[in-house]
Amino acid sequence: MFKRILLALLLLWAIPARAADETLHFRLGEDPETLFSAKTVSLTANQVIGAYLLDRLVYFDADGHPQPWLATSWTISPDQRVLTFKLRTGVKFTDGTDFNAQAAKYNYDWILDKKNASPLLARIGSLQKVDAPDDTTLIFTFDKPFAPFFSYLASASFGINSPTAMAKYGDQYGRNPVGTGPYMLKSWVPGTEITFVRNPHYQQFRGDALNKGLPYASTVVLTVISEEAVAQAALESGELTAGSVAADALDNIVKNPALKVVINKTVTNLLFLEFNETHPPFDDERVRRAVGYALDREAVVKAAYNGYAHPMLGPLANGIPGYDAAIGEKYGTPFNPAKAKALFAEAGYKPGPDGKLAKDGKPLALSLKSYSGFETINRTLSIIQSNLADLGIDSKIETADWGSFYPSLLKPDWDMDLMRWTSSDASVLTSIARSPGHRNMTLANSKQDEILDRCQTLVDQAQRNGCVVEAQTSLLETATFAPILSDWLVTITQANVKGYHLDYFNGVIVGDIQTES
Amino acid sequence: MLGYILRRLALTVPVIIGILLVTFVIKSLIPTDAVTAMFQGQVTEQEAKVAIDAMRHQFGLDQPWYIQFGHYVTGVVQGDFGTSVRTRRPVLDEIGFRYLNTLELTFAALLVALVVGVLSGIIAAYRRDSWMDVTATTVSLFGISMPAFFFGLLVIMVFSVWLKWLPVMPRGWTALLLPAATLGLIEAAPLARVTRSAMLEILGRDYMRAARAKGVPERALLFRHALPNALLAVATIVGLQIGHLIGGAFIIEVIFGWRGVGELAVRAIEWRDFAITQGIILIGSATFVTINLVIDVLYTWIDPRIDYSAG
Repeated sequence: MFKRILLALLLLWAIPARAADETLHFRLGEDPETLFSAKTVSLTANQVIGAYLLDRLVYFDADGHPQPWLATSWTISPDQRVLTFKLRTGVKFTDGTDFNAQAAKYNYDWILDKKNASPLLARIGSLQKVDAPDDTTLIFTFDKPFAPFFSYLASASFGINSPTAMAKYGDQYGRNPVGTGPYMLKSWVPGTEITFVRNPHYQQFRGDALNKGLPYASTVVLTVISEEAVAQAALESGELTAGSVAADALDNIVKNPALKVVINKTVTNLLFLEFNETHPPFDDERVRRAVGYALDREAVVKAAYNGYAHPMLGPLANGIPGYDAAIGEKYGTPFNPAKAKALFAEAGYKPGPDGKLAKDGKPLALSLKSYSGFETINRTLSIIQSNLADLGIDSKIETADWGSFYPSLLKPDWDMDLMRWTSSDASVLTSIARSPGHRNMTLANSKQDEILDRCQTLVDQAQRNGCVVEAQTSLLETATFAPILSDWLVTITQANVKGYHLDYFNGVIVGDIQTES
Repeated sequence: MLGYILRRLALTVPVIIGILLVTFVIKSLIPTDAVTAMFQGQVTEQEAKVAIDAMRHQFGLDQPWYIQFGHYVTGVVQGDFGTSVRTRRPVLDEIGFRYLNTLELTFAALLVALVVGVLSGIIAAYRRDSWMDVTATTVSLFGISMPAFFFGLLVIMVFSVWLKWLPVMPRGWTALLLPAATLGLIEAAPLARVTRSAMLEILGRDYMRAARAKGVPERALLFRHALPNALLAVATIVGLQIGHLIGGAFIIEVIFGWRGVGELAVRAIEWRDFAITQGIILIGSATFVTINLVIDVLYTWIDPRIDYSAG
């Protein structure tokens, strides 16, 4: 019996011989739960779907402007409620069916249909209906203008799946996805690896792609490696073409001549400190600002991120349209313990005989919450704690895994939390900070709320960027949260890998990658 | 004997129902579920409310825990272990092949542990206080003290990165070599120590001295007369170790990327995908109970003086 099981396993795992020069091997940190774009908001799943399977109507160029991809052009109605797209002709899904406006409409209708319970319902705003009057015209009609729509359209979530395949596989479509993308799913061993083969009819319409022809590599194998140390070993042994590793492992790799490091400093993540404004001391804007001045961001970058991050003073990451470095410089709270002390004193917190800050004889003690499982977060928390201790403030760090930490913020018994958020759109500011805040901890502020709401309705990008600048300014003026840093996207590739680059939203253009023998 | 086995099997049913009940109560105390875990750090709950409510309803997560428990038990009796919220695949499909993988790894490791552990225990006892004894005892001390994850990474560094004998991500039968050896060597350590002390005790008995005086050859002395008597102690420790092996397999699987139940359990807990964790707990406890039963039955075979039918 044992032999038979072993034999069955061997057969299951037997992998056909492959031409090494044509196959790329990448790492997956975890097995995606599905490859159906409308059923997931997971970063891993979206990376895979976006890089291999689904093309989108638009992509964003290096300057953060939407450019035509499966669409050729679009118009925005004067009231900004109706968007009309012209689509390409002659594009086919990898199951041989035609890509056209009806196919695109089918995808968006599927998301809109509440009985499908798509998590993307959260990302379509007030989209009311989608029409396809002919094969090349697609019309989105909104109840009210929805500004983030273009950056969502450019994301893997809103790529176009084959309606025929969706209907054919039903609930199992997530295991059998079909798009118009550069690759097709060949096999998927759950928890182990996903193999893609080149789409032989692929047409590359992206202006930012280096390779306008068929993808260079005929096969791409994604292997699930959850352990950082194992991923590092697989890179060093040459088994992986490319992969990401934790910041503290990079020192060894930088020294290895067989590997090279590709760093992307234009990123969409932000690490920041949030305040619970519903009770003292953080109901006082001066105290929030004081903590902002107390943060030694350079020390966090160095000690927690090994230098692979940049300090942030503004509330929007530099890879999100609307980012403006000048705002952080002007309104931010750079490390300045003296200013922090002065602000605390102004708010009534003065050092007692033991050097501890106290108000009305009561020493200031703060709780600091965050999520566990990441060395970077643990180290950041320790630095914040010591920054506060330098000012005479005791703080207590509490961490729990995300599933316990995040819901626990709804109970108002905490003071500060360290949070990291990734988003490709400035609407993240509204999601997090528009009162009452994403965890019911932000006090209503009619001026700021009005700005944050208004930014969500400006579809025209120039107008919107103006509003996003206002929002960033307001958030710093009210010290709603204290930005700390954005960490860089660091990818390790074998030294002979060419064409590995990321697009504006940090997606890989896999068709551009090749290895030199 | 048959009556005893049937009685023991019948007793496992309340044990497993009890375990399930406890996990359901614990689950109801945890402030989040698989649906909210899917949205973490991506979309706020307010934004995703419609989707979250619809998914909760679809998977029955909006019902009180005792109703969910009722549905679950009814399902299990009919062979339906539920559906994973995360992957939307039946739980049995998720666990099935991984369970076989874990068994394969566990038994391969047990084989390594038995061969290495028992043999070095016998040698250490027979050549007591020699260099072989000292080496075996010292090495086994390392084995007992070494955390599995550290030993696993060390093995990968040495054999895959430095010596390049095996790939970091091997395929086919070679994939079993490193994890089974790692786990087996760690578990061999306590076996070696138990075998050594049991053998020492028996080798010192009067009948052994008598046999030696009568001129019984050393090999027969060791393997026919001493070892069978020492095996009872070894069997007891093996019974305990299988549980330990399965637990150790959880860690080893994650490190070596071995697609077993342990690797899935770690993920399912992160995902709060309780349908999967419950399935694993259920199948895991059934396995454990069965193995204990098998060991108890083996006792009677190793030592015919043990008779359960009387009790």
